[in-house]
This record gives sequence, structure tokens and C-alpha cells, in this order.
Amino acid sequence: MGITFSDITSSAPLVSLVLFSFLTLIVESWGKDKPVLSYWVSLLGVGVSLALSFGHLGAGIPVFGGMLLQGGFAGYCNLIFLSSAFLTILLSRGYLERMECHRGEFYILILFSTVGMMLMAGALNLITVFLGIELMSVSLYVLAGFMRKKVRSNESALKYFLLGAFATGFLLYGIALIYGTSGTTDLVAISKLFPQLSHNPIFLVGCGLLVVAFSFKIAAVPFHMWAPDVYEGAPTTVSGFMSTGAKAAAFATFLLVFVRVFDIAGTSLSQVIAVIAAASMIVGNVTAVAQTNVKRMLAYSSIAHAGYMLSGIAAANVEGETGILFYLLAYTFVNVGAFGIVSIMERQDDKKLNFEDYEGLSARRPALAVLMTIFMFSLAGIPPFAGFFGKYYVFLAAVKANLTWLAILGVLTSLISVYYYLRLVVLMYFREGDADLDHSVPRRSMIALAIAAISIVVLGLYPSLIVDLTRSFFKI
Amino acid sequence: MFSYTPLIVLFPLLGFLVLGLFGSRIKNEKLLGILGSGTVGLSFLVAVTLFVQMLGMHPEERKHVVDLFTWISAFTGTSSSLSVSVAYQVDQLSILMTLIVTGVGFLIHVYSIGYMHGDPGFWRFFAYLNLFIFAMLNLVLADNFVLMFLGWEGVGLCSYLLIGFWHDRKFEVGGYKPGTSTTSDAAKKAFIVNRIGDFGFLLAMFLIFVNFGSLNFDAVFGRASVVSEGNSAMVWIGLLLFLGATGKSAQIPLFVWLPDAMAGPTPVSALIHAATMVTAGVYMVARCSVLYALAPTALHVMAIVGALTAIMAATIALVQNDIKKVLAYSTVSQLGYMFLAMGVAAFSAGIFHVLTHAFFKALLFLGSGAVIHAMHDEQDIQKMGGLKHQLPTTYKTFLIGAIAIAGIPPFAGFFSKDEILWRAFSSEYGSIGLWAIGVIGAALTAFYMFRLVSLTFEGEKRYGQDLHPHEAPKTMTIPLIILAVLSIVGGFVGIPASLFGGNSIEQWLEPIFAPAYEKLRMEPHPVEITEYLLMLLSVCVAGAGIYCARVVYLRRSKLADSWKAKYPGTYRFLFNKYYVDEMYDTVIVAPTVKVSEGFLWKGIDVKVIDGIVNGSAKLVGMLADVIRRVQTGIAQQYATIFVGGILLLLIWLIVQ
Amino acid sequence: MDSHAVATGALYGYRNQKSSSTNNFFESSVTLETFLFYTLGAVSVGSALMMVTRRSPVMSALYLILNFFALGGLYLSLHAQFIAFIQILVYAGAIMVLFVFVIMLLNLGDEKKLNERFSWKKIVGAGLSFGVLMELIFVFAFSKANLPPSHFEKATDIGTVENIGMQLFTTFLFPFEVTSVLLLAAIVGAVVLAKKKLN
Repeated sequence: MGITFSDITSSAPLVSLVLFSFLTLIVESWGKDKPVLSYWVSLLGVGVSLALSFGHLGAGIPVFGGMLLQGGFAGYCNLIFLSSAFLTILLSRGYLERMECHRGEFYILILFSTVGMMLMAGALNLITVFLGIELMSVSLYVLAGFMRKKVRSNESALKYFLLGAFATGFLLYGIALIYGTSGTTDLVAISKLFPQLSHNPIFLVGCGLLVVAFSFKIAAVPFHMWAPDVYEGAPTTVSGFMSTGAKAAAFATFLLVFVRVFDIAGTSLSQVIAVIAAASMIVGNVTAVAQTNVKRMLAYSSIAHAGYMLSGIAAANVEGETGILFYLLAYTFVNVGAFGIVSIMERQDDKKLNFEDYEGLSARRPALAVLMTIFMFSLAGIPPFAGFFGKYYVFLAAVKANLTWLAILGVLTSLISVYYYLRLVVLMYFREGDADLDHSVPRRSMIALAIAAISIVVLGLYPSLIVDLTRSFFKI
Repeated sequence: MFSYTPLIVLFPLLGFLVLGLFGSRIKNEKLLGILGSGTVGLSFLVAVTLFVQMLGMHPEERKHVVDLFTWISAFTGTSSSLSVSVAYQVDQLSILMTLIVTGVGFLIHVYSIGYMHGDPGFWRFFAYLNLFIFAMLNLVLADNFVLMFLGWEGVGLCSYLLIGFWHDRKFEVGGYKPGTSTTSDAAKKAFIVNRIGDFGFLLAMFLIFVNFGSLNFDAVFGRASVVSEGNSAMVWIGLLLFLGATGKSAQIPLFVWLPDAMAGPTPVSALIHAATMVTAGVYMVARCSVLYALAPTALHVMAIVGALTAIMAATIALVQNDIKKVLAYSTVSQLGYMFLAMGVAAFSAGIFHVLTHAFFKALLFLGSGAVIHAMHDEQDIQKMGGLKHQLPTTYKTFLIGAIAIAGIPPFAGFFSKDEILWRAFSSEYGSIGLWAIGVIGAALTAFYMFRLVSLTFEGEKRYGQDLHPHEAPKTMTIPLIILAVLSIVGGFVGIPASLFGGNSIEQWLEPIFAPAYEKLRMEPHPVEITEYLLMLLSVCVAGAGIYCARVVYLRRSKLADSWKAKYPGTYRFLFNKYYVDEMYDTVIVAPTVKVSEGFLWKGIDVKVIDGIVNGSAKLVGMLADVIRRVQTGIAQQYATIFVGGILLLLIWLIVQ
Repeated sequence: MDSHAVATGALYGYRNQKSSSTNNFFESSVTLETFLFYTLGAVSVGSALMMVTRRSPVMSALYLILNFFALGGLYLSLHAQFIAFIQILVYAGAIMVLFVFVIMLLNLGDEKKLNERFSWKKIVGAGLSFGVLMELIFVFAFSKANLPPSHFEKATDIGTVENIGMQLFTTFLFPFEVTSVLLLAAIVGAVVLAKKKLN
């Protein structure tokens, strides 16, 4: 039962990305102080993996002796992670150069972290879930503290690490309890036992602890406390990466374990998740209203969006799953883009991060203002941008699962969110101000932002492209 | 011919794209103006040709759906399959709305060339206007709820952009402290209030989808005709859709944004906040008439809300001094009449009023724009007077508009308003109370309109000597004249049978509302003597209103002041618009802000997190100190909250 | 399913000899095995508490070593010899030495500095943790845990080096390989954070 050749070919996107991360490591050690080489190699690696992923969207098959799912659901999720990594790498180079901490290890860690995400999305065994989460998180802890000279960045990394380790403890305890009651860590095997196990309190507590650990990773209330501090302190492009790739990976595992494998529809687990979703929507949106720092606002907004998406998991039906998968892709483009613009606006001395620093941006940087407007509209869920359909599907799923109250709360809180998203648009367009940049925006950053914006519009106009694709994954 | 329908929508979109992308480089205002209004004019031409063709068709052939492409298709083959197309439905109702939107829209575009002359945002203005027309056409031509909602949101967005067009100008927004608000606050208010309505619309869409399994008009209404009456889901759908309509069409309780929307340039007020966008709610209700026929409760609510809005807004309009605010409240009031009509199941009467109202209200707004233009942005009617000599064309056309809205035959407003009042009285869903409120409202309407005319155009001049008002340019007066003509003859399409007319608009719209009438079991009414009596009464009431206004404001001008002094409470109550803004502020806005700032932000965030972060600013660079602080301070607290979460979660799981 | 269960059983030293009906937490009869379990358990819990509450870092480190040894003993009593020795070797040996070095090198100085003041936060934290503990005790004590039976004929076979090695390089080859990537990422991370030259 070792590793066969067909295992390798079936998991080509994953294997190629691992190989490319090794290659980046080697290249980095060759060319001292030439991070540009690492940049290109890592970009190439993600590109190759992305291209290979498109060929792996067919039926999902278990590989590596049933440890990992490749293709189908996992293949689609890989697209999300790789897009996020690709855009993050593109946006980061200029940002890191300006912040004077451009080093090749950054790209290596991004690649490792992406590998971890890909493992999470395909995990068919609780051990793989654990390893994926750890690989992703360890890389992110370091990335959060990548700007070593900045106190905020160090603080952010340390907090993330401490609380992350705390959450990992509960994850392991949960896995242990599940293993203890089922006698296996294989998710497919557990799924067969699920009907009888779901009445076993020890098993339920184990699942509850898994919910806790996953909720921590997606920054859902009350396990969200780290998110605003970490997002604020981390390098801005890393915050973008964390709020999209890492969040998407945690949601992918969440879906895989609780909807596909365990089928929690109608159980008390579903109720618990619905309550977490509701709390996230309320806390995220209401707190975001009072923010003055754009990065913090985006952090709270990401908590709120975690809440919307969780309502799809609480619903645990086809619509919910499809909705989340669509939502994740749309949200990835939107948030990487939004954080990307913040990273462009940010100055080396941590200035230019507040709302008022965007006043009158449209006059001097019309392109940036238009892009930011698209991102904000999409976050607010205004059609025809992609964000609208994401919300539509997850709320529809909630209604179908008799969680109408959750859908109503979702719609109500997303009305609140319109206020703070549009505040930025209003400041950019309707206020006089001298918002400007003292540097020119690198073309690669603009390309990344344009890719994100175009994807949002295309997804908004043709959501059926994705929705029909994701529907085909519902059979494992 | 129907295949040209997409062109109607396409032209304004092209206009928007060209103006939006290249507008800033085109310096020539004339070219920009021709581009901006030309696209709408072309749409109007296509719509007219289409309309003429439809006239020659058999009523059953008049409906046609042009499917462009499938927009969303999900879960095909499952119970929750959703398929939404970008498809335009041309029928008697939508072509009528299209004609109003493009026709009146075109005139207002032309007017704007003169009005916006010299404004640095000239190109931007026309780009937004074109975008608005595009969105509005999507709204009225959509063949499904999703596309309609897209248009619905789109017009809201354009309204928002255009209200805040002069973003930095001071503007008194209701609910704000005087002197602290700008036009962009008004824009924000409009947007947020509208979102509450949109919330209703969205929920209604969910319910419709859950109940009918589709969001396509034909499918939904087809399946609705077999649903039995008294289904509570239908009532909810009706009420939620109506909530959406109260937002967009400024009805109680969501009307507060419309008067503040007057912060936008006057052509915007005319186009969006009088003639077209605000009637979207009425259109939507008319479109969903079958659904409302299944929910008579929702109809009753609508009739009552409409009547109350009509009279409430009319009383507020009595004492306002801003020329545009008077017109704004008048619009709210007239929209109330339209909903009253809808509520008593007189759907075609409501749409008829949409049509005539578009003519005379656009005329009045454009006229007020000409006055404001001439007075160099003065809007206070107390500082005007005697303008009829300086602005003869504006005066005459404005007067026509005022007579039309007051309801004096044979002007357009008479026929539509009288139709509504008669139906409010005679319909199975109407009552004498609703009718009475309507008649009192009509008297008030005549009064405040002629108060406006008297104070603005007649009497002595009350403005400074250095001001020399002059008539507006031709691009502005010609649209005024055209609209004035329409305000006179526009009502002839709906002369009722009692006056030996054919009521052609009702016949035209008959196939649209037939299923609803059938469900409601409405019988056509024979002509009665009562109808003539009521008609006579409403004309007398309107005449009395006009007469009183002229007496009070022209001949015995002290009278108004003495009333003000005599009933200061009532006056202030009306002048402050029933304190609705203040009420919303205390009940909803302030607590939300307080909870957000005081508790979640200042409590948790500022005190705990920011307190520590701010302290750290002094110690920047001292890494060790940060680590100490992180370890002993917040991270632990985060972990504590984390454990609290686990505690609750496990309790839930165990108890279950 | 079976092969996985067997395999994971080997890795974790999972063991359950008794029939599923009699293995309730409190009902098991007192044998030497259970005596050892409770003794070692008490030592590990007690040493963990002491480790957290000591003011002197060196004392904390020493209690941590005791805790590691107690855990090692627990593994041993569960027939997981390999894990037990690795536990002692790696944790009590290598990692603890590192800890002690770090404590000495950092030279934290006056112990009083580390003394936290009494605060309501601590009370709340302790209360919440106690609540979670109670919940877990409740669940374990009052639920009929139908633990699955063991898959090994001889209990002593579970934790042998052969069996673990066999599983690691067959069924669990993939996680084993992934662990190497995880370690590599951790090394890169450590280098990034610790490298002297910043640029």
C-alpha cells in the first residue's frame, strides 16, 4: 500500500507545487540576495499547478491509499487557493520592496502554505486534515511576522501562533475523541458509522471540538479574536492571503468533514454552527461600522463573511455547498484585491491605512478608485458583482434547510455592511481630499488587481459557469 | 419587430460606456449633450415604433419575450433548479413604462444640456443619467425577478450617485444637526433607507422561489393563478414586496429619503425622483397584480398606507419653503395616490396616474429648475415673488403643471386622479374613508400647489435688487413646452366611459390585469349618477383649494402669518415633517451607533485592544516588551473567550 | 476500514481488550493496570498544574520533565513501548534541554517580575476551564461509550517498532512524507525569524 505512480499523476497539481517549492528553496540558496529569482520560480510553480488543476476538475478519486481526494471538489478548491497564491505573489513583490523586506523566503512560505491548503481540501483522513492545517498555519505564522523590524508584525505573528497552537490542541483532542469512538481516522469509514455514532455524546464532543478548531481558522465568533489584530499587524498582502486562501481551505475542510462525510443536516451540530454563523454576522458587521482603519474594517468584514458562509454549512444541503464554493471563489478575488489596494496605499511607516486617507482618491488615481469600488460593491453584495450570488445561494440554502431566521439575519446584517463598504466609495468619489501615492504602482500589481476585478464581474454575470461545475462535485 | 427590443436597452448602455470611458477627454459640451440625450432619443424612437406596431396587433400577440442569454442556471434538474435569463418582456405594461422612461427621459436629458452648462462634471452627469436609463429599462423590461432586482439596485445606485453629484455642497438633511450635513449625506441616507426596502424585496424573492420554484414572471404568475386564496405565504410575499416598494417609491414608513434626495441637481429630481424611478414600486406592484390578488390583506395594507402617505405628505407640503421640497412632498403624496389605486385593485388607474404624473411632475420640477437657475441657486420661495414677468414661459408652463396636478379638467391630472378617487369609493376593496382621505388630499394638493405658484411667480418681488432673473435658454424651455402640452392632453387616453370616452388606457392594459381581476372577482361597474356627483365634488374641492391659496397668499398675505402665530404647535409639527426623521434617529440610528461605538468598539476594541496598542506606540522597538504584553495581556484574554465559546458549544451539544 | 483502524491503533497505542459493554470509565475493576493508569495519570495532571503555577521558570521546567516521564509511563502501560521511549528521548531529553538553555540565556532576572497580579481575568479563565472539564467528565461518565474492539490478537504487538515502522511506510506513507514537508516549512520559518542579517 505504498505510493503508486498513478497516485502521483492523479495529484499532479499538488506534487508539482511541492516540487516547485523545493526548487524555490534551492534557487533561493543559490542566488544570494536575489529574491527576484524566487519570485519568478514561485510564480511559475503556482502557474503550472493552476494549469494542471484545470485538468483535474473531473470526478474526484481517492489517492495515496485513501488519504487524499484529488480532482473534483478538491480540484476546484485548489483553483481557489492557487488563484489566491498567484495574485498574492504578484501583489507582494512591489509591496515588500517598498517595505524593504523583500526576501525569497516569503515566496517559499506562500508555496508551502498553499500545499497545506491543498491537503486540507482533499483530506479524507483526519491525519491529513491535521497535517494540512499545520503546514498551512506554520507557514502563515511566519508570514504574519515577516516584517521583522515592525513591532506590529511581530505582535501579530506571536498572537496568531499562540492562539493557533491553542486551537490545534482542541483539534487534536477532537480527533482523538472521534478516533476513540469510531476506531479509525479514515473519514469515509467514519461516515459509514455516522448514523449510530451521532448519538454518542463523546463522538459529538469530538465533532464539536473540530467545529471549534475550524471556526478558529475561519475567524468565526467567538473564536475570532485574533483576526483583527493579526490582519492589522501582518504584511497587508499576507492578510489578504490569510483572509482568502486560509479561510477557503478551512471552509473546504469544514465542508468536506461536516457536510460531505458526516451529513450533519438537522443535527445539533448544525444548530451550533447556525448559532456561530449568526454571532459572526452580528459581531463582524456591527463592529466593522465603527472602524477607522481600513485593514481592521476588512478584518471584521471577513468575520462577517465567515458568518454568511457558515450559514451554508449549517444548512448542509446541495445549495449550501454550491453556494459556499461559489462564494469562496468570489470572495477570494474580492478580498485579495481589496487588501492589494490597501497594500498599495500603505506607506512604510504604517501610515495611510485610515479611511480618511482615501478621500478624493478618484481624482488622482481613478483606476485604483474604480477597482476598489468594484471590490466594495461586491463585498456589499450588490449585483451584478459576484458577491451578490454568493450571498444569494447561501441564504437560499438556509431557507431551504428551515433556517429562515438565519437567512433573515444574514440579509439584515449585510444591509448594515453596505454602510461601511460604501463609506469608502463615498470618500473616494464624493469628498475633496489629497489622497495620492508617492510611488508608482508596479504593472504586475495592476495586472493582479485587474484579474481580480474582471473575475468578479465575469463571475457576477455568469455565475452558472461555476455553479454548474460545483454541482457536479456533489457526488464525491 | 420585437427583435429590436434589446436595442432600447443597448443605446443608453453604449452612451454610458462612451461617456464614462471617454467623457473626461471630450471637452465639447455640445457633443457630450448630443451623445447623452441622443442615445435616449434613439431608444425612444425604437420604443415608439414598437408601440405603433403593437397598436396594430391583436391583443394576444402584443406580448413577447426576447431571450438574450441564460444568465444563471443552477441545480438543473433538481427540485431547486434555478434558471434566470437576461430576457426582455415587451407587453402592454412594459412598453408603456418604456415610453415614459425614454420619452420623459429624453426631454430631461435635453433640458440638462442647458441646466448643467458649465459644470465641471458635465460628462459625468450624462454618463450617470445614461446609466440610470439603462438600469430603469432593465427594471421595466425584465421578464424575471432577478433581472428586475438588478435594475432595481441599479437605479438605486444611480440615484445615490446623482443625489451626491455635488458632493461637497452643504445641504440640510433631515435627522442631522443643522449645518453639519452635505449632499453626500443625503445620498447616503437615500441609499440606506432604500436598502431596507431592498431587504423586503430580496426576502420576497426567496419566498417566491420557495413557493413557486421559479423567478420567471410567466412561470410564477402562471402557477399563482392556480394557488388558492388565503395562503399566508402569499400575504407575506405581498407585504414584503410592498416593503420594497415603500423604499423605492417613498411611502410610509420609508419616505424620509425622498425630500432629502432633492440635494441632487434638479433634472435628477425631475427624472429619477418624480417621473420614473420612484414609480418603480408602483410598476412592480402592477406587475405582480396576480400575486396581490391572492393576498387581499396585502392590498388593504397598501391602500391604507397609500392613503395615509398621500395626506400626510400633502400636509407637510403646505408649510415648506424650499421650492423643491414642496414638489418632493407633493411627489410622495401623489405616489400615495398611486398605491391607493393599487390597493383598491384599480391597477390600470394607478398606472394611468404614473403616466400623467410623469408629465406634470417632470414639468413642475423642470420649471422649478428654471426658476432656481434664474435665481442663482436660490430655492426659498419666501425670497422670490413676481417672477412671471421675468420668466414668462416658465410661468405659463408651471401654471399648466399646477392646474394639472390640482385636478382641474380637462388637464391630465384630473382624469387619472378622479379615476383613482372613484375606484377608491366604488371598488369592493375601497371604502368611503379611503375616498374621503383622497378628496381631502386633493384639496390640500390644490392649495399647496397654488401657494407655490403665488409665492414664486406672483405678488411682489422679495429678492435683492442685484438679482436679475432671466428666462432659461431654448434647450430648457422647449422641453418645458412639450411637457406642458402633454400635461394638457395626456389625460385624454383615459377619459372614462361616464364622460363618453373609451378609457383606452384601461382597455390597453386590460390583458395584463385580467388574471388579477378574475381572481378578485371584480365586476365592471355600470355608469352611475354617483360617479358624476363625486367628480363634480372633487373638481369643486380642487377649485376651492386653488381659490383659498390665492386669497391667502395674494390678497390677504397677513393671513398665513397670523395662522402660523395662532397654531405654532401644528405649524412646527408640519414644518418639521411630523418629526419622523428625528424619531428614526432616536429610535434606530442613535442606538445602533451607540451599541457599535459604545459597546462593541469602545468597550471591547478600544479599551482592551486599542488601549494596549496605543500604549505600545511609546515602546516601539522594544520587542521584549511587546512579547511580555502579548503574553500577559490580550492573547490570554482571547484564549479565555475561546474557552468560553467551547463551554457554550459543548453545553449545547450535550443538552441536545 | 479495518486496516486503517489497525494502523492508527498501532500509532497511538490504542488498546481495548475488554468487551465493549464493560469498559465504562468508572466501572472497570481494579487491576494493576488500572492502578498504574490512575497513579501515572494523577502524577501527570499534578505535575502539569505545578508547572503552570510555579513562579520560577526552572521549577516549571523540572515539573514539565516529570510530566513527560509520567506520560511516557502511561504509554508504556498501554504497550506502546516505542512511543514511550521516543517521548522520553525527544521531549524529556532534547526539548527540555533546549528549554533550560533558553531560560538561562534569557536571564529573566527577578522572579517577582513574572508574578502576575491577582485579577478577575484569571478567575474567569479558571472558571471557564473548570466548566469545560466538568462537561467532559459528564460526557465520559454518563454516556454509554461503545468503544470499538481492538484488532490485535496480542496486546503487546501494538507498539512494537516493527509494527509502527510497517504502518508508517505502508498505510501512513503519505502523512509521513507530508510531515517532512511540514518540518521543512518549519525550518524555513525558523530561519526567517532567527536569521541575524535582516536583508
